[in-house]
Amino acid sequence: MDKPSAGMSKVGSRSTASLPPEPADIIRSMSCYRRVKLNVGGLPHEVLWRTLDRLPRTRLGKLRDCKTHEALMDICDDYNLDDNEYFFDRHPGAFTSILNFYRTGKLHMMEEMCALSFSQELDYWGVDEIYLESCCQARYHQKKEQMNEELKREADTLKDREGEEFDNTCCSEKKKKLWDLLEKPGSSVAAKILAIISILFIVLSTIALSLNTLPELQDTDEFGQTTDNPQLAHVEAVCIAWFTMEYILRFLSSPNKWKFFKGPLNVIDLLAILPYYVTIFLTESNKSVLQFQNVRRVVQIFRIMRILRILKLARHSTGLQSLGFTLRRSYNELGLLILFLAMGIMIFSSLVFFAEKDEDDTKFKSIPASFWWATITMTTVGYGDIYPKTLLGKIVGGLCCIAGVLVIALPIPIIVNNFSEFYKEQKRQEKAIKRREALERAKRNGSIVSMNVREAFSRGAELLDVVVMDKGERTQDNHLSPSRWKWSSKRATSETSSNRSFNPDQGSPNKATASSPQRLNAQKLEEMYNQMAKTQSQPNLNTKDRCTSRAGHRKDEIELGALPGPGDPLNGGREGVVDMKSLSSIDSYISCATDFQENPRFPYSSAGGLSFPESSRFSHSPGSGLSGRVRANPSLQPTMEHETMLTPPCSGAKPPNTEDLRQQSLLGNAHKMHSVRVNHRNCGETSPLGGPRSDSSILSDHSILSPEVSVYTTASSRTPPKTPEKKGSTGAVFTFHDASISKYIDADTDDEEHLRESGPSDRLLGGLSSKSRLTSAYQGGTNHLEAAQRLLGQNCLFPLGSSPGNAYENHVASENSRRPKGDRGYSSSFDKGL
Amino acid sequence: MRELPRVRYADCNSSEASEETVIAVNIGGVKHVLYGDMLNRYSETRLGQLADRATDCAQDLSALCDDYDSSKREFYFDRDPEAFRCIMELYYCGEIHMKRGICPMCFMREMDFWGIDAEYLDECCTSSLHEVETELAEIAEKVKTILDDLEGDATANRVQRCQVFLWKLMEKPESSLAARVIAIVSFVFVLLSSVVMCVGTIPELQVQNADGHLVEHPTLECIETACIIWFTVEYVLRFISSSNKVHFMFSFMNIVDFLAIMPFYVVLILTHLGTAMMELANVQQAVQALRIMRIARIFKLARHSSGIQTLTYALKSSLKELGLLLMYMGVGIFLFSALGYTMEQSHPETMFTSIPQSFWWAIITMTTVGYGDIYPKTTLGRCNAAVSFLCGVIAIALPIHPIINNFVIFYSKQRVLETAAKHEIELMALRAKEEVQGSPDDGKMAAQRTRASGGNSSGWDSAAVNASHSDTYIPLLGDTAKGSKRQPVHKCKDS
Repeated sequence: MDKPSAGMSKVGSRSTASLPPEPADIIRSMSCYRRVKLNVGGLPHEVLWRTLDRLPRTRLGKLRDCKTHEALMDICDDYNLDDNEYFFDRHPGAFTSILNFYRTGKLHMMEEMCALSFSQELDYWGVDEIYLESCCQARYHQKKEQMNEELKREADTLKDREGEEFDNTCCSEKKKKLWDLLEKPGSSVAAKILAIISILFIVLSTIALSLNTLPELQDTDEFGQTTDNPQLAHVEAVCIAWFTMEYILRFLSSPNKWKFFKGPLNVIDLLAILPYYVTIFLTESNKSVLQFQNVRRVVQIFRIMRILRILKLARHSTGLQSLGFTLRRSYNELGLLILFLAMGIMIFSSLVFFAEKDEDDTKFKSIPASFWWATITMTTVGYGDIYPKTLLGKIVGGLCCIAGVLVIALPIPIIVNNFSEFYKEQKRQEKAIKRREALERAKRNGSIVSMNVREAFSRGAELLDVVVMDKGERTQDNHLSPSRWKWSSKRATSETSSNRSFNPDQGSPNKATASSPQRLNAQKLEEMYNQMAKTQSQPNLNTKDRCTSRAGHRKDEIELGALPGPGDPLNGGREGVVDMKSLSSIDSYISCATDFQENPRFPYSSAGGLSFPESSRFSHSPGSGLSGRVRANPSLQPTMEHETMLTPPCSGAKPPNTEDLRQQSLLGNAHKMHSVRVNHRNCGETSPLGGPRSDSSILSDHSILSPEVSVYTTASSRTPPKTPEKKGSTGAVFTFHDASISKYIDADTDDEEHLRESGPSDRLLGGLSSKSRLTSAYQGGTNHLEAAQRLLGQNCLFPLGSSPGNAYENHVASENSRRPKGDRGYSSSFDKGL
Repeated sequence: MRELPRVRYADCNSSEASEETVIAVNIGGVKHVLYGDMLNRYSETRLGQLADRATDCAQDLSALCDDYDSSKREFYFDRDPEAFRCIMELYYCGEIHMKRGICPMCFMREMDFWGIDAEYLDECCTSSLHEVETELAEIAEKVKTILDDLEGDATANRVQRCQVFLWKLMEKPESSLAARVIAIVSFVFVLLSSVVMCVGTIPELQVQNADGHLVEHPTLECIETACIIWFTVEYVLRFISSSNKVHFMFSFMNIVDFLAIMPFYVVLILTHLGTAMMELANVQQAVQALRIMRIARIFKLARHSSGIQTLTYALKSSLKELGLLLMYMGVGIFLFSALGYTMEQSHPETMFTSIPQSFWWAIITMTTVGYGDIYPKTTLGRCNAAVSFLCGVIAIALPIHPIINNFVIFYSKQRVLETAAKHEIELMALRAKEEVQGSPDDGKMAAQRTRASGGNSSGWDSAAVNASHSDTYIPLLGDTAKGSKRQPVHKCKDS
């Protein structure tokens, strides 16, 4: 944590003060040193320029060719010409390996490095992964494939869960209840009881089936044939009735009939009940004695099929399911096992046949006949109905035993491995699902105001799919990638945002107005930060909270990031819109307060998205903790401001809002903020007296100090404490975070990809709007997509209320900042207050 | 720049010992201060030489270090600072431990640069190095075979090209559709002939010949003949197309092939000519014996199954464990059969008539097969049987574990190797291409750079630049046909 901050301050000294250096300065600086200092995530490196020139198409290779400030800022995150130092806000660990690639020409990978994160680093630095040496390449691809597989599976399960969504028909509620009751034994006590009853019936029916074959219990019918015991037949009928009812109810309540019909467990269910009905049908319809024998044979076959009902237990046992899955997955190894056995049987049976065939009354009459012997011997069962008698035969037999043990033992560990892996995974997923359900229950109870995890999740899954699809058509714009890259199709992680930002085209629209979206008013920012630091006395307390929430937020920001068209960074996002419901009662304030807990995260996440394209990946990196804390502070501000706007019962009037929005949009035009919607439900009706209020709403410090606000902040005390005066908070939300964090981490990996999909500016704007989207989604109870559409629809509602001075201010200091850009990210939201 | 070291030199001389020499080095941005006497302990290393020559003129030094800052008297090395920390341990402690997590090959490269012999690496770290090295060697082997396959000899005449074409057709099922079809047909024939062999022994399907002996059904015999003809054709074509006939003759799979077809012809010859030379009974016995050899054709399946190849590979590499298994079993059999024999002596109707006879019982018991044709009847004998069963389980389970381990390793490696080799080839092709393209490009770049920095070169320097191939390729480097080797890959990449 110290290192980056140290770097920051050092660097900041230059950036805040001066204008961008002249190209001549840059060129001079580059030519007068033979070496260059690279500061990557706080870790200083020193390297010869000519070492970097070895790979001229990579990011570091291009650094030398930069002649202007803009070009430099495109490549590195910050620089200091006097110190000949360039700062990159990346993970330092991976960079060591990458710099070694420049030095030695061999790309190796640190063992403890996550393959995915390493590949992202490679993308950022513009090095193609094909250069990985063979010794590390195998590990890399193995890990990567494993990861991708896991992600895909996760996405699949999510999709499955999504598939259970019920359409809004009249009885959907009941249907869903029934479905939960029958399919999810964990959902309620009744469901659990039902499951237990079902298991009991299965056991009972199998016992009855077995008892039926006891000769003592069998009756004889008029033809002298044995038939079922009448009592047991009754038991059977009852069981079948239960099974049938269960099946039909399941079928009726299932959201997707065809999928239900196809499901393997349901096929088993059907096979368990069908034979009974077929038997009845056959015996009833063919009463005539003529066909009776044939019918009887058929009936016998169906009777055997009844045994399938024992497989119904699979529904209630994870172990059985994973056994089935393992067998399905390791059919290769099973095939091998059978092949080995078959070969062994062939060889030994023919050997023993030739050894034994001259014996009198030998049982080895032919090779097929001795197959049985070989099988029984190789599996070491050894019934003893056939055994060799000659010396030669006995020798063959002995060899057969040992070979059998060997041959069976060999492929089994592989299958076992598969099984244990899957079993572990299953257990993990079960836990994850439980957590998710607990979370949802908590949400329903109202202890948490939405996060809409489910939705975010499903969206994540969809996006993942999109990514997976996209990767096929992705162009190879990686700098070093050869024209034919073998594994490209396997790379689920697609182009990084870093790559895009690297690409000059991407940044250009922004550059036209401001120098770049990444550079914001740093001075102001610092000021604000200091201010906030004063008000906030316990930053460390928040850090953890920040970290936990960030994963969740990325999701939101992704959704938002997807909204703006990539082509209209300037026009698309001019208007800031705030979506608010009027708050007339204390309840709504409380809900606002809970919301508040959401809000702070948005600037944070936006900042994360903007400046640390990969910071999310390296949440352990020294810098992120700090920046997290830093961002937490200003995030408070905007929310406060919004509350103040709402405080007077008759306020929430348009003028202040629009005013505010304009200011937002001023900022927004620098970095295309957009899509916040004003939803004046009640406010519009109340008298427009925004004038006086606008002051307090605009000046965030005032709002902190203003008495009304403090009232409301105490009302919002359920949120995690942000400032000293809100210390009274409790853990309701906190625990929520703790519980959910691991899940977020589970889902983390998908998000990264989406994150990187959207350009930095997209992310910024997404982050900005996310707050308001959150409010709209959570308060208004509308779903995200809807909100998004509305946003789009209202695009031109607030046509860029431009106050030139403000805009100017925005851009003046834009290139000075050498702080981590995370700060800049929030500054945008923050400036609203000024 | 020239003056300064000389002054130092004088200084050193005057202080009459090089112990005083203090060398400041900057390793990729991390600065160290080293003492000359310490470095001199290993004077053959790069740092040792540096300490020796620290006093020389700057030009000589530039060969040793990447940059020299005369004002600070600081030597700059463009290397990994973290690896250097481990390297420094040599001077302090006399041994080197690898940095945790670093790839061993990467670390070896660093050690190379610093002029430190690999033997200074401590024992505890060498194992991982060896692991990686063997893996790389395997990959290199694989790459070599693939390259050999790809090698289309342009100079070859028509006959040779035909030969290569035929060879590919017969031996490389994945090379073309026709080759795949041939492989499948061959597989079917192997299966068919095996089935025919088995079915032919069923008494109901046999027919009596003129002498009243049961012989195989004529249709089965026809199928058998067809199969043999196919096998023969296959074998002959393979033989013709092989470039090295002797090597071909003695490779395992081809011996199996030969054994699979040979009995048929021997039987044919014997039945037609043999009667003239020896007794009919003898001929028939010989024919019988040769029939057994037909079993060899089952092994022909191994050609088509990678699983069986893995099995043989695993068994071959774990011969020691197999020997152990047999030895354990042998000892157990001797021990328990003798015990069983003596204990069962008291019973009047004992089934253990002699020790060699009770060998059979011991085997069957120890492998837990238990036919029940011989079983102990006295209490003592039964106790012995129980013990022998337990011992048998242990005796089998213990040596089997390493065998299984071998198998699993080979099995999982097989897949990894394939991708690794492909990757390696791509990497080589890429580098080769870059080399070709890079040369004009480099020139331009170099000029540009020289102007800018006064630097002396571009591209990777000496050690690194045999670097158009990766570490794996180094074993192959020894080949004289280096150029020709790389070319084909190149060609195939372009096409």
